[in-house]
Amino acid sequence: MQVNRIAAPLKLLIIAFKTGRVTKKYPFGPPLITEAFRGAISIDPAKCWGCGACVLVCPPNALDIIFEKEKIVIEYFKGRCIFCGMCADTCPANAITVTKEFELAATNLEDLKEDVVHRVSKCAVCGKPFAPAAELRDVMKIHPITEEYANICPDCRRKRTARAFGMRFGASI
Amino acid sequence: MKLEEKLKSVRRSPWVFHLNSGSCNACDIEILDALTPYFDAERFGVKLVGSPRHADVVLFTGPVTREVLPKVIRALRAVPRPRIVAAIGSCAVGGGIWWDTYSTIGGFPKLQEILKRYGVEIDRVVYIPGCPARPEAIVYGLLVALGYVKQKVSKVVKTVES
Amino acid sequence: MSVKEVVKEIEDIVTKFGGLVELATDTAIFIEVPRENLKEFAKWLYDSGAYLKTCAGADERDLNSKFAVYHIFGLDEKGLDVVVKISGREGEPLPSIADVVPAAEWCELEARDLLGLRIQGHETKPRHVIPQDWPEGLYPLRKDVAYDYRPPSTIEKFEEEFPREAGLPVGPYHPILHEPEYFELYVEGERVVDVFYRGFHVHRGIEKLAESPRFTYKTIPFLAERICGICGFVHSSCYVLAVERAAKIDVPERAQFIRSIVLEIERIHSHLLWLGIAAHILGYDAGFMHMWRIREPVMVLAELLTGSRKTYGINIVGGVRRDIDEDKKKKVLDVLKNVREEYKKFVEVLTSVPEIVKRATGTGILPKEDARALSVVGPTARGSALNRDVRKDYPYFAYKYASFKVPVYTEGDNLARLLVRVDEVFESINIVEQLLHALPKGPVVVESYEIPPFRKAVGAVEAPRGEDVHFIITGHGKPYRWKVRAPTYQNLPALKVMLRNTPLADAFLTIASIDPCFSCTDRAIVIRDVRSGSRKVLSLLEGRKYASK
Repeated sequence: MQVNRIAAPLKLLIIAFKTGRVTKKYPFGPPLITEAFRGAISIDPAKCWGCGACVLVCPPNALDIIFEKEKIVIEYFKGRCIFCGMCADTCPANAITVTKEFELAATNLEDLKEDVVHRVSKCAVCGKPFAPAAELRDVMKIHPITEEYANICPDCRRKRTARAFGMRFGASI
Repeated sequence: MKLEEKLKSVRRSPWVFHLNSGSCNACDIEILDALTPYFDAERFGVKLVGSPRHADVVLFTGPVTREVLPKVIRALRAVPRPRIVAAIGSCAVGGGIWWDTYSTIGGFPKLQEILKRYGVEIDRVVYIPGCPARPEAIVYGLLVALGYVKQKVSKVVKTVES
Repeated sequence: MSVKEVVKEIEDIVTKFGGLVELATDTAIFIEVPRENLKEFAKWLYDSGAYLKTCAGADERDLNSKFAVYHIFGLDEKGLDVVVKISGREGEPLPSIADVVPAAEWCELEARDLLGLRIQGHETKPRHVIPQDWPEGLYPLRKDVAYDYRPPSTIEKFEEEFPREAGLPVGPYHPILHEPEYFELYVEGERVVDVFYRGFHVHRGIEKLAESPRFTYKTIPFLAERICGICGFVHSSCYVLAVERAAKIDVPERAQFIRSIVLEIERIHSHLLWLGIAAHILGYDAGFMHMWRIREPVMVLAELLTGSRKTYGINIVGGVRRDIDEDKKKKVLDVLKNVREEYKKFVEVLTSVPEIVKRATGTGILPKEDARALSVVGPTARGSALNRDVRKDYPYFAYKYASFKVPVYTEGDNLARLLVRVDEVFESINIVEQLLHALPKGPVVVESYEIPPFRKAVGAVEAPRGEDVHFIITGHGKPYRWKVRAPTYQNLPALKVMLRNTPLADAFLTIASIDPCFSCTDRAIVIRDVRSGSRKVLSLLEGRKYASK
């Protein structure tokens, strides 16, 4: 290979002059983001059913579903999120949107968490809490089912169906 | 030196040391990218140093693996007090996609508990999520650590009306 | 000879050795031989011109109460993979082929460590990949060990990294390295005479994690992508290629084109990154800054096409998640035209500057015979006169629709490897332009498919660093065994040859010239079982233990 002790630095200077300054003035100017960028997600509480499909598909388990006595909480931990967008693709209610937020620095881990709190419906027969109220309301919108079925827990529904079958065939229950 | 004095004295020129505790390298090349002409962290006086003894801020990546644990402890012990650490990437903040395997400790928060047992105190930690964290996000996080800008995120609780 | 004739010849030889052919597709042939005849059969394959790709151990006790070892060879001229299986019950000795095929040593050690197999000739060798404080007798990749069982950490068991006499420790944290790895260079004056490598600091347990309840076929591409942050898309592409071959899924042509385009964009960014780092290591910082400035528009392009600057996340089994429309296509072509012009002007300067040329010529030489015996891959092989490229030898995705050259240099020194990468960037830009102009219409993903269990397949993809091989045995809903052999794993043993008699100042450029990506190498946890008898031998071999006591 030819070694150019004089011509090479001169050529480099010409290249540097022609290019000029390329520095982006971030944070005093806009960042270098395209329209396709995937940042943090945002869950819309008006649409979320609390079904937990996003929790099942999230590869690093950044979404978690916590069952408490009076509520069901979907917790989103931005710290472990890998920004893949699988939750947005999987959500049956289209409640998850992928925003362009990337300025997520925090000094406290709790600041990186986002909770969506659902009230839990109780069974009309046995009184046990069994499903988020929002899920029942939206399922009733999609499939017009009467109230008498939707607010009964699966165990009581099974008992009712078994009793209905039995009565058809003459058993006395 | 107290933490407030230190933050005031390094505001104009923080010297950083890059510590990789077993990451996949995506966050590491984004750290190097922050020093190149398009993002140019050097306008804030940031300089990459070769020894933890010279460092003001430690840029920490990776979900601490089992093999690298004693070496990380030794490297962090060499950083002079007060220690400021920026945990970069989903692996360092929360353990990443492999937060529960047998070969990793689980990220910087779990490492901090182990460090306390060995007498290594960390005075200020900043968590920068991302996979990998963009160079702009790293610059933003560094400014939050030094106190130039306020952080934007906070805990959000949304209740569903029904 | 056509592929069918080669398959017939192999079948005849196999029956002579007492084995049988389980399956023959047009890309691979699966053979099982009895343990005693493995060495001779491997020698016949090696002498016929096959290269060893890797070997994988598997715990098949649920299926047939045996452990299996799969040796994967490749016949480059015919584009055929030859997978040779041997099996044995727990405790039975299995033969090693490392004296016939030197490239097999590392992967056999890994199989021994992972599963506790007794491979003859390797029983007394030291721990290969395991953390030093891992308890003995516990083998993570066995099916009865949980993926998240963590024995309590005992830091005191780690030794101080004290070098032997005249050893120069490099790492694990060194200004010039971006990843933790530990080299000991043994020097005499200014010349390096030997090197000891302790790696696997980045071992995260990925192969075991893929078999855990947390993952399914759908989400493993995200895991595979994070094996390495620089060549992540290669790993996820290779995984979906292996699964699609095993399940015989027909992927739409448009998806194959998009995968090839994104793969080439990744190759451009990776080579520009390496050229910048090489200039930085040699002290030419202006080269580093200019090269990364030229590279930045390529990263923005990747974000435009896929949604993220790195770890793209668009690969799934059966296709891709994002499409390329006319707007994006035009933008890609414009940006690449600019990149090619700027790169051409700058590379003339880079390859004529004395810092680069004088220091890279004649150092770190890898002779052709050693390169063949160690089966090195990628620019390391192409810089030593071996014409190996997976895109030409075993065509996959849409590469058969693009015409490109494969640059080969014969000197085998650092400058040859540098020039191979310089030429490859031009070829990659050509390939992207050709594929974009020929993009066919149609869907980008196939909606429904079936993956039957216990099918085997091999996938190989050309990463920027060389050939990446994934071996899959499908299971129910997730793989039964997934083996990843990254290109750097195959190239690292060549460092011992290259570092001999190099001046110390050039040792770092030599280590960097194979483009090491240690996170690719260490991905699986290798657990070693060092039996108590051999521990004594370990202490004698490594005098460091005396120094720390």
